[in-house]
Amino acid sequence: MNKETDILKWFDGEISIKDIRKKYPEEDFSVLEKAGYYSKQIEAPIIDAQKALEDFKTRTFKKEAPKVIPLNFKSFLKIAAILVVMLTSAYFVFFNNTKSYTTKIAQTETFSLPDHSEVILNAQSKLSFNKKQWEENRSLELTGEAFFKVTKGEKFTVHTPVGSIQVLGTQFNVKERANYFEVQCYEGSVSVTHHKEKLVLTPGKSFRVINNKVVLAKDFNAKAPSWLEKESTFDEIPLWQVINELEIQYDITINASKIDVSKTFSGSFTHTDKNIALQSVTIPLKLSYKISGNNVELYNYEQN
Amino acid sequence: MGTHKHKLCEESYFNSFYLEHIQAVNSFAFYKCGDKAASLDFVQDAFAKIWENCSKIDFEKAKTYLFTTVNNLFLNTVRHQKVVMSYAKASPYMDKTNQNPEYLLEEDEFKQRLLLAISDLSEDQRDVFLLNRIEDKKYREIAELLNISQKTVEKRMSGALKILRKKVDNLKI
Repeated sequence: MNKETDILKWFDGEISIKDIRKKYPEEDFSVLEKAGYYSKQIEAPIIDAQKALEDFKTRTFKKEAPKVIPLNFKSFLKIAAILVVMLTSAYFVFFNNTKSYTTKIAQTETFSLPDHSEVILNAQSKLSFNKKQWEENRSLELTGEAFFKVTKGEKFTVHTPVGSIQVLGTQFNVKERANYFEVQCYEGSVSVTHHKEKLVLTPGKSFRVINNKVVLAKDFNAKAPSWLEKESTFDEIPLWQVINELEIQYDITINASKIDVSKTFSGSFTHTDKNIALQSVTIPLKLSYKISGNNVELYNYEQN
Repeated sequence: MGTHKHKLCEESYFNSFYLEHIQAVNSFAFYKCGDKAASLDFVQDAFAKIWENCSKIDFEKAKTYLFTTVNNLFLNTVRHQKVVMSYAKASPYMDKTNQNPEYLLEEDEFKQRLLLAISDLSEDQRDVFLLNRIEDKKYREIAELLNISQKTVEKRMSGALKILRKKVDNLKI
């Protein structure tokens, strides 16, 4: 043991000054002894603890609220949110195979189904089907109007809110609008089910339901629906349905409160020119029209 | 764990923690800076930190945290002013029976030299030395208090003794 360690021990109270003196008789430890002794007398400020605490309490603190519980809760919510997002996206990626097509006003869309059947969707219509089950079950949901060129194969079914159409392989047009339902067969044969009644259409034949009543329609000669050529054709159709179609093709609102919309119209209008279209509808019926922005008002000649 | 952790946030617990340690930590701060007003400021600041962060501090480590914070606050303040220390009023001389005026004068002179020498020590040496001397703390206790190793405490103490011995001795001549 060297002297330094012994001095340290002495100051730590482990050995006494006598031991040190005995061990190192030549050395004078009086300075250290005195320093050790007198330094004990140095005054440390005495604190009035209560008063200090009172002073302390007058301080303002930027106390952070204990965050543990809300934090845990938040992270739990985060995890839950992530799980929800993952599960829903997984559902949509892996389980939801519904493919749907939608058209807006004055818009048509042409596309192929997985079996290369062709579909042309008229304005403001929606068509959806299940991609995964398509091979076993060629069936789709339709609201609005569409023309189908079905390739030959198993049963092909179109479900609409009004009735369903079954074919094996043909060309046909389905028009499902408010209070109006029409199926036209252009090729092959089409089986239409409406209110449990089933009937088969041959080319040139139509099945038409207006206001829930089956209406007889004349045969037609066209090879394809006229709307594919950007024209809507009507054969003894009530005017309100024609107006409806005009609104869908031109994004306009037609006010027909001054005229009788139940009279029938036979003829056609183009999808490319609003004025010509309005004229082709109104002139044969002895009507006139006024355009203001997107609003069109129909009225009788005589009134003005 | 939770209950222990948040004990410090309870005002009654915090108050008793405050009262229990204010004296010791204030003395420590004083040994460090040698300024009564400044040391109390450091101490109050350190307690404020503990109160503000009560939920994050393990109550078993609060005491160490307190001393460490005082130390850090001291190191952060750049103004290292002159250390002013003094002796307690009633302080007996070493040789209590010797009333010889010459002896008393000599001792008083020694005491002044000692104060000067102590105020010239580094802060680390001074607080270790004074904790050992004034508070009769073992090196082990000091190490625990300051959250340093006992070896470090001994090193500082040894350094302090060497300097004191030399300075007081030199001035004597």
